[in-house]
Amino acid sequence: MTTELLSANHAAAAAAALAGRANRVGRGFGGGVYPITPQSECMERLCDERFDKGQVVRVESEHSAMAVCIGFSIAGARAFTASSSNGLAYMTENVFTAAMSRLPIVMMAVNRSLGPPWNIWAEHGDTLMLRDAGWVQLYCEDNQEVLDSILTAFRLAEDRRVLLPVMVCQDAFILSHTMTPTDVPSQETVDAFLPPLDLPHRLSDRPRTVGALDGPRETEVPRAEMQRAMDDVPRVYAEVQGAFEATFGRRLADPVVPYRMDDAEIALVSIGTTAATVRAVVDEARARGVRVGGVRIRMFRPFPEDTLRQLLSRCTRVGVLDRDLAPGQGGIVWSEVRPAAPQGSIVQNYIVGLGGGDIRPKDVARILDDLCARERAGKPQFVEVG
Amino acid sequence: MASLEIRLHGRGGQGGVTCAKILAAVWAGLGKSVQTFGDYAGERSGAPVRAYTRVSDEPIDDRNKVYEPHHLLVLDPTLLGEHVLQGLRPGGTLLLNTEEPIEAFGDRFLRHRLAVVDATAIARRRKIGTRSVVIVNTTIAGAFVRAAGLPFEALEAAYRRLGFTGNLDAAREAWDAVAIREARDVDAKAPVFAPPATAPVLPLVAHVEGAPTGLRTGSWRSQTPRYVHALAPCSAFCPAGNDVIGFVQAVAEGGAQQASEVLARTTPLAGVCGRVCPAFCMEGCNRREHDGAVDVRALERWIADTAPIAPRAERASAAPRRFAIVGGGPAGLSAAFELARHGHEATVFDGERALGGVLRTGIPSYRLPRAALDREIEALLALGVKTSLGAFLDRDRVAALAREWDAVILATGLQRLRGVTERDDLPGVEQGIRFLHRVNMEGSVRVTGHVVVLGGGNTAMDCARVAVRAGASRVTVAYRRGREEMPAIRDEVAEAEQEGVVFELLRQPLGFEGDERVRGVVLAEVELGPPDASGRRSPVVTDRRSTLSCDHVLLALGQTADLRLLPEGWALREGRAFARDAPVNVFAAGDLATGDGTVAHAIGDGRRVARLAMRAVGPELAEVEELRRPDRARAVAATEIRFDHFPKSPPLGERHVPADVRVRGFDEVNLGVGDPAAAAHRCCSCGECTRCDSCLVYCPEGIIRREAGGYAIDLEYCKGCGICVTECPRAAITLKTPKEMHA
Amino acid sequence: MSANEPILGGMAQTAADRSTPLLRPGNSNCGGCGMSVGLQFLSRAIAGTPVQLVIPACCAAVAAGPFPTSGYGAPVFSSTFASAAAVATGLAHVARLNGEKTRVVCFVGDGGTYDIGMATVSAAAERDEDLLYVCYDNEIYGNTGGQRSSATPRGATTTTTPRGSELEKKDILAIMAAHRVPYVASISLAHPDDALRKLRFALDAKGFRFVHMLAPCPTGWKSEPADSIELIRLAVRSGLYAVYEVFEGSRVVINVEPEHSDAALERYLGMQGRFRKSGVELASVRAGVERSWRELRARSALGGPG
Repeated sequence: MTTELLSANHAAAAAAALAGRANRVGRGFGGGVYPITPQSECMERLCDERFDKGQVVRVESEHSAMAVCIGFSIAGARAFTASSSNGLAYMTENVFTAAMSRLPIVMMAVNRSLGPPWNIWAEHGDTLMLRDAGWVQLYCEDNQEVLDSILTAFRLAEDRRVLLPVMVCQDAFILSHTMTPTDVPSQETVDAFLPPLDLPHRLSDRPRTVGALDGPRETEVPRAEMQRAMDDVPRVYAEVQGAFEATFGRRLADPVVPYRMDDAEIALVSIGTTAATVRAVVDEARARGVRVGGVRIRMFRPFPEDTLRQLLSRCTRVGVLDRDLAPGQGGIVWSEVRPAAPQGSIVQNYIVGLGGGDIRPKDVARILDDLCARERAGKPQFVEVG
Repeated sequence: MASLEIRLHGRGGQGGVTCAKILAAVWAGLGKSVQTFGDYAGERSGAPVRAYTRVSDEPIDDRNKVYEPHHLLVLDPTLLGEHVLQGLRPGGTLLLNTEEPIEAFGDRFLRHRLAVVDATAIARRRKIGTRSVVIVNTTIAGAFVRAAGLPFEALEAAYRRLGFTGNLDAAREAWDAVAIREARDVDAKAPVFAPPATAPVLPLVAHVEGAPTGLRTGSWRSQTPRYVHALAPCSAFCPAGNDVIGFVQAVAEGGAQQASEVLARTTPLAGVCGRVCPAFCMEGCNRREHDGAVDVRALERWIADTAPIAPRAERASAAPRRFAIVGGGPAGLSAAFELARHGHEATVFDGERALGGVLRTGIPSYRLPRAALDREIEALLALGVKTSLGAFLDRDRVAALAREWDAVILATGLQRLRGVTERDDLPGVEQGIRFLHRVNMEGSVRVTGHVVVLGGGNTAMDCARVAVRAGASRVTVAYRRGREEMPAIRDEVAEAEQEGVVFELLRQPLGFEGDERVRGVVLAEVELGPPDASGRRSPVVTDRRSTLSCDHVLLALGQTADLRLLPEGWALREGRAFARDAPVNVFAAGDLATGDGTVAHAIGDGRRVARLAMRAVGPELAEVEELRRPDRARAVAATEIRFDHFPKSPPLGERHVPADVRVRGFDEVNLGVGDPAAAAHRCCSCGECTRCDSCLVYCPEGIIRREAGGYAIDLEYCKGCGICVTECPRAAITLKTPKEMHA
Repeated sequence: MSANEPILGGMAQTAADRSTPLLRPGNSNCGGCGMSVGLQFLSRAIAGTPVQLVIPACCAAVAAGPFPTSGYGAPVFSSTFASAAAVATGLAHVARLNGEKTRVVCFVGDGGTYDIGMATVSAAAERDEDLLYVCYDNEIYGNTGGQRSSATPRGATTTTTPRGSELEKKDILAIMAAHRVPYVASISLAHPDDALRKLRFALDAKGFRFVHMLAPCPTGWKSEPADSIELIRLAVRSGLYAVYEVFEGSRVVINVEPEHSDAALERYLGMQGRFRKSGVELASVRAGVERSWRELRARSALGGPG
């Protein structure tokens, strides 16, 4: 293991390369890559990696980047790509295809605003748009978590009980271009952590059509299988956490990361790097005697509703910070968290940090003040930052 | 009220959804609320399709499919299974598109009002859709409107409403044609349908080997391809009844011996025909339309020369009969051949010292070398044919033979010769046939000076060319019609001309000049008038005359049958003699009976009459099959041959000795075919499969397999597209409708 | 000898042929489907070679049948419409990385090639991926009911050009040859020997190979299913469909010299309801054909139109 000063983009690429090389005893590694800010550094570094049994294909679009991954994966190889924002939107039909074909592809997605207006900074709407695509979604808070999540994602995705693609999400620039010392494990340890992929339904030399035209029944049954696989993910994830700790000597973050929630009556729920700011505000408010805690949703798919219900069971006020907007509805995280909050509690949505607006502690503090002062929940509140 | 519900079952391409729409438009025009929709899937031409129509007095808000229809329309009879009938209400109308008449349904569907129409036949006749995918929406709509008790005008209004313009006539025809049987047994217990078994859906994430779909696409088919043996024109045109395509293909596939065996089944004289036949086969050959006829005659000769014809008795007769054949020419020899092949005793009586008839006495040896003739006669004798040569035959002798033998076949040919005037006996004037007889039987006959031959047939050509060889300084053929009308074999005319024979065409001989010896022929100019009964333009003699001076005149004006051999009071009818209307076991074959005038005709008729005679002499021979003259009209036409399959390669033809060499003697002038295999491979094999693989290679379904020397089609899956039929280079496959399949 | 007999030299159903068909009986294609015939040809070219097919959304994908059955006697991935060449890229690399002899074949219609898949196929060609890309061109979006594509010829009525398309068909072979890939060829379903030779060559060659086949669609062309092969023959004889191959983007070999027959062109147009309905003039079609030949002759360095 070495510690390198890495951006999260490079950390993701390093992890993908390690995972890819680990499958040299299997059917190899590959993927299609296509540039988009702020992901490009990741694919650039991947293109600079050397593989004994791997090939990174420089394709002409995100749509084909995922298609190439599908090709690698259905042939039994480990596959990886990275994208962001409009790239994900352009890729979308193949994002669905990858999941519906039950292919354990891993994608690093840098969360960026979808234009117009053309804006390259952090926003979560691009990957949340894909929440129904059948992918496991992990949202990261720091560079190390990005690296660890990529490694974890392969192990999780390739587990026979899962066989679903995994998307590892990180905030544009806040993580993607920010360099921090990051532990990069050795190839041997990664080899030990990631056994070679054995895809049960890979194309061989025998007749078999993957992706056939089917009727209602041949559609509903595999959909139900996907749901069951998603249901298994938390259990498998817990096992992977154990293996990860045993291999790398550090603890991998839980699907839901609570902060000072043990006796909290008020909770601030967020995803991605916003959680760090929330922690600062929680500490400051706790110092003032406010019984507030923070909840970071790391795994958005499958959605950890039971865990959240438990964590929020004593809360009377829940503030959900969304760096995204589903116009006509509100925050996407809020709309999913709401059913997990206790009956009668005030669950208020705050739309904050769109287009990469820097969510500072004072902004979260204002949100907390508003939440504490409410007699009832209102419409989603737009919080200006800066 | 609740909705009236209609369900249609059809196949992709038949127009079922449009039909449902037409029905909806009919009721909409009558002021009803309607709804119509189809099942949409990856349906393909031929795949089962459903469509629905609802009709109500109230607005319709039912968004489900129709499970218990009041009316059920089945557009394709192959769909008629229990699941199609599922849910049809008692008393409801069941409209079937079927070839079967309504009576054929007997006790079936008694709970329902049965309506039956052959909508496909109507639409096919009116060319609605394609041959393999017939669109029946309008015909079905016409029939249903009638069955539903609605006026035809309602359908016309619906057409206007939908903006349709065509095919209303077809709907009217179906409206008229539909047969209806009222429901009788409405209270009978409804059949219980087992729900279709649903197989468990296998997990996606497992190794699963995909089995074939099991979709029986054969039920999509409206027509079925069938391999056939269609009649080739060469065989149809052969008066001898030879399996022409058979022996030509045998050359291509197996060589001379195999081909010789094919010929030996129908002719003892292949080496003769291969030299002297006008080759009707080549006249009929479809390849003429493409790049020239196959050199069939030359091939026949090559076969006979390379692997001499060795006729074999096909069977030993349990009770051999005795047949007397009068005349040793081609008809008599052929009759003897046929009888001997059937295990009977055949004895040929002939006045000459050797068999062969006109082949020996008439045809010059440069056309038919005697060795070739002798070889085939010897083979015939080896088969067991007996002879009585130098026999004197007259009507008394014939009457005696008729008493002593099981049957007599007269085959004496054409013995009466036509002349010009009563002065035909003028010295220097001679019948061509007699001249040829002298040349052929006596040898070293010499002529001098100018020889004029009168006539335009093969005898005329033989006379002229023999005269050239016998020393004539000049030979002229005078013929009363034009060159196109000359009955002689075209090649013979050309060869005569090459040898220096001059043709005076459109000249009618009127008489001779000269007192003690002929010195000239008086000829009148002829103009051609309208076609006569033979199709040739009839000569109209003018009064413009001239005299052609000459030293010899050979008459070759044609021959006719001499029936004086028949006893008094006998007559010939259809090849059989009748004594005062009572059939006797005396038959006539060949030119004597038919006057057709070629060796090939004589061979064919000899065999045909031999069979008639066999059938006549004993009831135990009744199973001997009659031979029929081939029907040219049934032969595969050139338009049915896919010539793209055959790269153009004109025939190489027969090789000939140069004219200046051949006139020096009586050696054979025609050297036959140079490359028999190449010549045989030019044969398109019309109507007869050659296993060329076209059907197999072009079949979109890949379901044609080699089997038992031919091909088999897997009808479980054949969609009846007809590509195999279109692509067969030689019309050896046809498409049949179900009705034709049953026939 | 003069006759083409037996065609394919009699290799059909011999040890040299594929033991089971690539397109199995019981597929859902329409009767007389040209694409089906093309698959039979491809099957023979493949013979014993292990293959994996990538088929995007198109009629050929429907022919694959419902899971778990398979209309194909080979493994198939049914990709999104625009993605065949990209998915195949992945498959081909994995085969190479694992030292497998598997040949990866894209089997794609004209919509997936000329239109929505153009960028994908162009990129795969530019990367010289080790793929055989077969475009079966029925000149419409057949699977969606017969709409115009950029492969639809002038004068053809489709459901979106009810009065006949006024545009010339895209010259896909020239486009693909301009990528300077190892092999680009058009094959005629009416010339099986030439087609088989080229398919075999294309299957074995390294790098990106593009094979185009004009594939009659009786349903969309409103033609007799039985005439599908004859239509191709007429298209070739008339000059409408040029049968040639291009090596390394430069060396052009014309495999079948057309007769430039107006009679053949007239029959070709007359046998299809899609042209009868528009009443397109033979002369206007002929003009486009002549222009294509002038361009092709120029590329083949033989000069002048034929």
